[in-house]
Amino acid sequence: MFTKILVANRGEIALRVMRTCREMGIASVAVYSDADRKALHTLNADQALYLGASEPAASYLDIEKIIQAARECGAQAVHPGYGFLAENAAFAERCEQEGLVFIGPPSRVIQSLGDKTTAREIMRRGGVPIIPGMIKAESHMDILTAEARQLGYPVLIKAAAGGGGKGMRVVQSETELPDACRQAAAEAQAAFGSGAIYLEKYLKRPRHVEFQILADAHGNVVHLMERECSIQRRHQKIIEETPSPAMTTELRESMGRAAVEAARASGYINAGTVEFLLDEDDNYYFLEVNTRLQVEHPITEMILGMDLVRQQIRIAAGEPLGFTQADIVSRGHAIECRIYGEDPENGFMPSPGKIHFLKEPVGPGIRNDCGVYSGFEVPVEYDPILSKLIVWAEDRDQAIARMRGALSQYIILGVKTPIAFLMEVLASEPFQRGETFTDFIATHFNNWRQPLDEAALAALAYIIYEMAGQRRKKGMVSELAEPNSPWLQLGNWRL
Amino acid sequence: MEYKLKIEQTDFSVEVIDQHDRQLNLRLGDGVYEVEYEVVADHWIHMAVNVSGRTGLVNAWVMDGSEGKIIVINGRTYTVQDLDQLTRRVPKGRGANLPDQITPPMPAVVVAVPVAEGERVKKGQAVMVVSAMKMETTLCAPFDGVVAKINATVNDKVAPGQILVEITKDTDLTEDPAGGTNS
Repeated sequence: MFTKILVANRGEIALRVMRTCREMGIASVAVYSDADRKALHTLNADQALYLGASEPAASYLDIEKIIQAARECGAQAVHPGYGFLAENAAFAERCEQEGLVFIGPPSRVIQSLGDKTTAREIMRRGGVPIIPGMIKAESHMDILTAEARQLGYPVLIKAAAGGGGKGMRVVQSETELPDACRQAAAEAQAAFGSGAIYLEKYLKRPRHVEFQILADAHGNVVHLMERECSIQRRHQKIIEETPSPAMTTELRESMGRAAVEAARASGYINAGTVEFLLDEDDNYYFLEVNTRLQVEHPITEMILGMDLVRQQIRIAAGEPLGFTQADIVSRGHAIECRIYGEDPENGFMPSPGKIHFLKEPVGPGIRNDCGVYSGFEVPVEYDPILSKLIVWAEDRDQAIARMRGALSQYIILGVKTPIAFLMEVLASEPFQRGETFTDFIATHFNNWRQPLDEAALAALAYIIYEMAGQRRKKGMVSELAEPNSPWLQLGNWRL
Repeated sequence: MEYKLKIEQTDFSVEVIDQHDRQLNLRLGDGVYEVEYEVVADHWIHMAVNVSGRTGLVNAWVMDGSEGKIIVINGRTYTVQDLDQLTRRVPKGRGANLPDQITPPMPAVVVAVPVAEGERVKKGQAVMVVSAMKMETTLCAPFDGVVAKINATVNDKVAPGQILVEITKDTDLTEDPAGGTNS
């Protein structure tokens, strides 16, 4: 087993990887940029190495700087997290050349699956159903226009090197196509270093259902059941759950088998995710393979009682899985809500800034994978994820109730967050009935505004804080503070 | 004493009827609110509220923000402004002859400046592309005109309120005071 792992990422995922390293007795090394000198991952590692300027290209995307850092600290392996270099075949290859173990699949697998058009071709040949669309990337506007016409609008622009919704655009008509292509290509270029795009038929009302897979270097492949990730904004997931409300035992067997086949066909090793779109008639279409740890992996961990990062590290070290498909048994229901620094009342625009106060929710079955703290300045340069709030409970209804409670006690002052929005989504009838399709937010929560029925309480709080502020200046606050008074723990009340 | 508060687009007029140590009686709309409160810690107050025979306990988290106080109650966040303070703070309406403003909707980094000073632009034409947290936003000309000044270059960090491109409006065209954001 390794004794030192470099974590080539930042934020909550870097911390999450470091936690498992610590439990396994492995030293963890953080890398950081100017903007992240005081980031949690920098502060909590066993060793932290400076990479460079804040822009990703000069730090977290700079392959040679990271290789250099790994050599300098004597790490035997590199964990890439998600995003940045996690699905960069050139980086994995450089690690291989340097004798560093890349904790993920071999570079050739990332190469073939990371190119979404190649992956589609592999799946098509392997008999896995795929969505109608182009099988290779294209930059020529005339050809893109002709392809779009042939597919019929609406069409979906996707980044060939993509994932996580970056560089993705739904186009309703031909007039929108040129601008959308340019923006998508630019976004893809910025996010992945490649501006290659292609078009797919846009399916209406599908569910996004993905299967977690684990494959070791000895030919053992299992799937770890599904995650339903249909609740999305800007094609990026914000609520995920497992099991999927749409899943039946037969469908799970069929899709799980397809996922395992996809892994075998591509020579997959380590943890990965096979994404499908599932339509209302239980037809499923291969979407893509994410050759990395997913943002939403914790919900799988919760229902299986398994540490996926530990499995990744074990597999990378050459250990066999040590269990089979029959050993995979889930219990209960898990939900994740992504807490981004963004404004749900303003098109989910990013809301960077300083976090003035943070109180994380606690309680049975609540987990918060958090990358920020009170006083932290959320940088504009990176993904706006602040934390991932995850709950587990015995069934779906209880998990929803638990998540609503957890969200209501999650206090973040200083940046805008979708907490109130997420609470309303979870409270909504369509969500509670499990009618979760990828158009959910556009259908039920378009132009959402926070209700003001409790705003009178905020007015009261304003006046009290004004008055208390005057008193605070007189130095009386310490006498007033009695945090353990039972009077304070009597619970919430609504007008 | 009376407070004129604004929460989102709604005005709240609150009259302080009575105030003792850690106790307040307030009139808000038709209701009289009897409130006992504690300042629990920095940013945290706790209120026992009684209105029209209904009582309950409420936790509120508060911070002073640039546009008023930010208050979180039951998972919802409110920006509460004091209209009396607001009128003092903000200068009265912008002059109609000032150029319309091209400013980023959030703190961002400039990724492209597709126009040059002196260049003629059409309404809706992209004049600046900014990126925040990996999302690109294109800022467009709000009217036909000539680019008078460009105040930012690629890789500059910019903030809302900062005027990135100044455009001298063609005077012979119909007025359109709307902003120029188009993502």
